[in-house]
Amino acid sequence: MKRSHAESMAPVSLRAAWLVPLCAALLACGGGGTSIEDRGIHIPGGDIALEVPKFFPAPRIPADSPLTRARVALGRHLFHDPRLSGNGTQSCGSCHHQDKAFTDGLPVAIGSTGEAHPRNSQGLANVVYNATLTWANPSLVTLEKQMETPLFGEDPVEMGVNDANSATVLARLSGDADYPARFAAAFPGDPAPIQWPNIIAAISAFQRTLISGNSRYDRFLRGELQLAPSEERGRLLFFGEKAECFHCHGSFNFNDQVVHASSRVVETPFHNTGLFNIDGNGGFPYPNRGVFELTGRPADMGAFRAPSLRNVEVTAPYMHDGTMATLEEVLDFYAAGGRVIQRGPHAGDGRMNPFKSDLIAQIQLDETEKADIIAFLKTLTDHDFLANPAFSDPFANADR
Amino acid sequence: MNAHSKPRDLSLRPLAALVPTLLALTLSACGGGGGGSGGGDTHPPPSADRQVSLEFSAQAGQTPVGCGTPIAALGSGAVQAELNDLRFYVSELALVKADGTAETVQLAANEWQLPESGVALIDLEDGTGACADRGTAATNAAITGTVPAGNYTGLRMTLGVPSSHNHTDTAAAPAPLDIQAMAWSWQAGRKFVKIEVAPVGGVYRPANPDATPPITEGQSPRWNLHLGSTGCTGNPVSGETVSCAAPNRVVLHFDNFNVDTQRLVLDLQTLLLSSNLSIDLGGPYGCMSGKTDPECPAVFETMALDMESGLTVDRGRNQRIFRIEAR
Repeated sequence: MKRSHAESMAPVSLRAAWLVPLCAALLACGGGGTSIEDRGIHIPGGDIALEVPKFFPAPRIPADSPLTRARVALGRHLFHDPRLSGNGTQSCGSCHHQDKAFTDGLPVAIGSTGEAHPRNSQGLANVVYNATLTWANPSLVTLEKQMETPLFGEDPVEMGVNDANSATVLARLSGDADYPARFAAAFPGDPAPIQWPNIIAAISAFQRTLISGNSRYDRFLRGELQLAPSEERGRLLFFGEKAECFHCHGSFNFNDQVVHASSRVVETPFHNTGLFNIDGNGGFPYPNRGVFELTGRPADMGAFRAPSLRNVEVTAPYMHDGTMATLEEVLDFYAAGGRVIQRGPHAGDGRMNPFKSDLIAQIQLDETEKADIIAFLKTLTDHDFLANPAFSDPFANADR
Repeated sequence: MNAHSKPRDLSLRPLAALVPTLLALTLSACGGGGGGSGGGDTHPPPSADRQVSLEFSAQAGQTPVGCGTPIAALGSGAVQAELNDLRFYVSELALVKADGTAETVQLAANEWQLPESGVALIDLEDGTGACADRGTAATNAAITGTVPAGNYTGLRMTLGVPSSHNHTDTAAAPAPLDIQAMAWSWQAGRKFVKIEVAPVGGVYRPANPDATPPITEGQSPRWNLHLGSTGCTGNPVSGETVSCAAPNRVVLHFDNFNVDTQRLVLDLQTLLLSSNLSIDLGGPYGCMSGKTDPECPAVFETMALDMESGLTVDRGRNQRIFRIEAR
């Protein structure tokens, strides 16, 4: 079996495969509640352990969604299977490419019927820790609930499953040589397991295993390596009061909305970063006005969730609408304290957006400092995650 | 309260045994008129439950509305339009006595009604004609159930799904909360009302560079009314959607309504009275309950909903969604 370079690292290194068998977890944990040990976190009810770094909290796994080997394997197949879309052309993986940390490289996603989504595909690394899902939606707090939007949403159409073709999609799976046994194994005791709730549960289980915690930065934290001088200067800037990146990207997951097994109260901030100001009153373009689209509250204008910066090197283009092509452009934008658009329908001075976060102010960064920050951001790329065979498309090299 | 357990018992009885009871109750309900002036306390305790069937129909003025038959004149522009979809959830259905006391209708269990939630789906499109790419063949034009025997003079109901059932997973929910077309996934809830029409000539969006935000020219074949709760927030710890800023449920009171002889007509003509279906000035085409959607104030007004609070205005007294007609 192909092992990545992680295994040859210093003694404390974690293995590239983040899933370890039940036997190991049971020996370590001895039953009882969720517990953390050296190699992984055992989720009660499941038969696999989720392996996360010691400096990650234990992930929250809903009690009714145990992580089992069979569920995760089924979820991996379903995630990568285009038969899951209404017209059979698009899988979850069509807009979430593993080699791009499960983004798709496009400014905005294109659905199965060709309709453009107004937003940029988001990465899925460590999505198990997300307190809310998608770019700006305080109501979507579980992967299961979120998944109904890409599967069944009509505006825009993504996977394009609807009441008319739902049975056809399920029949594709029922008629497959492989799926009936996979569903039976994943949902033992369910007499008719090929149903949407189980499909959603399996894909969610797979998504919860998408742990990224073996970047150069993680290995630095484990004492396995030293950062290069530029990376180290960038790290200090990132976490310092000069660049102030950490206010919104300061958690272990490099964002500011985290839920985990021990969470009691979770704050879910959304931020206007001054990307637009098309009317001088703070306006963002419809339908990309952030949380405002759901609440209509003026204060929510342009408010979006700060995404995790893990693997940010490979998730271009950036921002909710994919309007920034490079990290250099992003750094220039934050250094300026907002974006000025000179002409066109979106013209305006985002720096003066009245709803802009007080955390976004002009910062004096010279070119070396910007380059240092970018060098640091690139230490967040987890090459094991991007190539982990456990997450890969099982259909890629096989006849279906 | 034993009323909750009675409907099922009743539904299992042979029909013949029901007839005398129903006849008597119907007579007393209809003939008694304002007999409730003495107050509910003086009436003898109800001896049995009575069946309720609340019927709905869709019309534009006096003309029945259905898929495949052009509707003559809709909206402020009196434009001809085709129906594309017409479905809505009703909950908290109750019959009201003259003294104002109300009895909740215990819904019968079937694929259109979920008794434990009090929710029923009315589906007035049959998937034919212009409804083909939106709708389904099955239709449902009535809510059925039981109430304790009594003299009822009015009706109360909510257009919408209660918060307790609005945010459940559509894919896992029991009928009729399992209809994907009625799911409103981005608001983590359901469309309470889904009315979609295709006006002749389409819906035109004129460019408006001075609008906030600036609007580029556009065109849609369809004008949509999607009513549902907005501004919802979830609890990441419990994984539940906990509250919505604008509930947008229409609580309707019909003070004089005889459920046995009358029905509720959803009148597209009055509902869309002030809505110009040929022109859209911004946001989604039609009204999808957004606070700043230019098409929402007109239709919220006819639905007796306050745009800001999402609450029903004046008990729905001035609503123009439904009118009462003889069956």
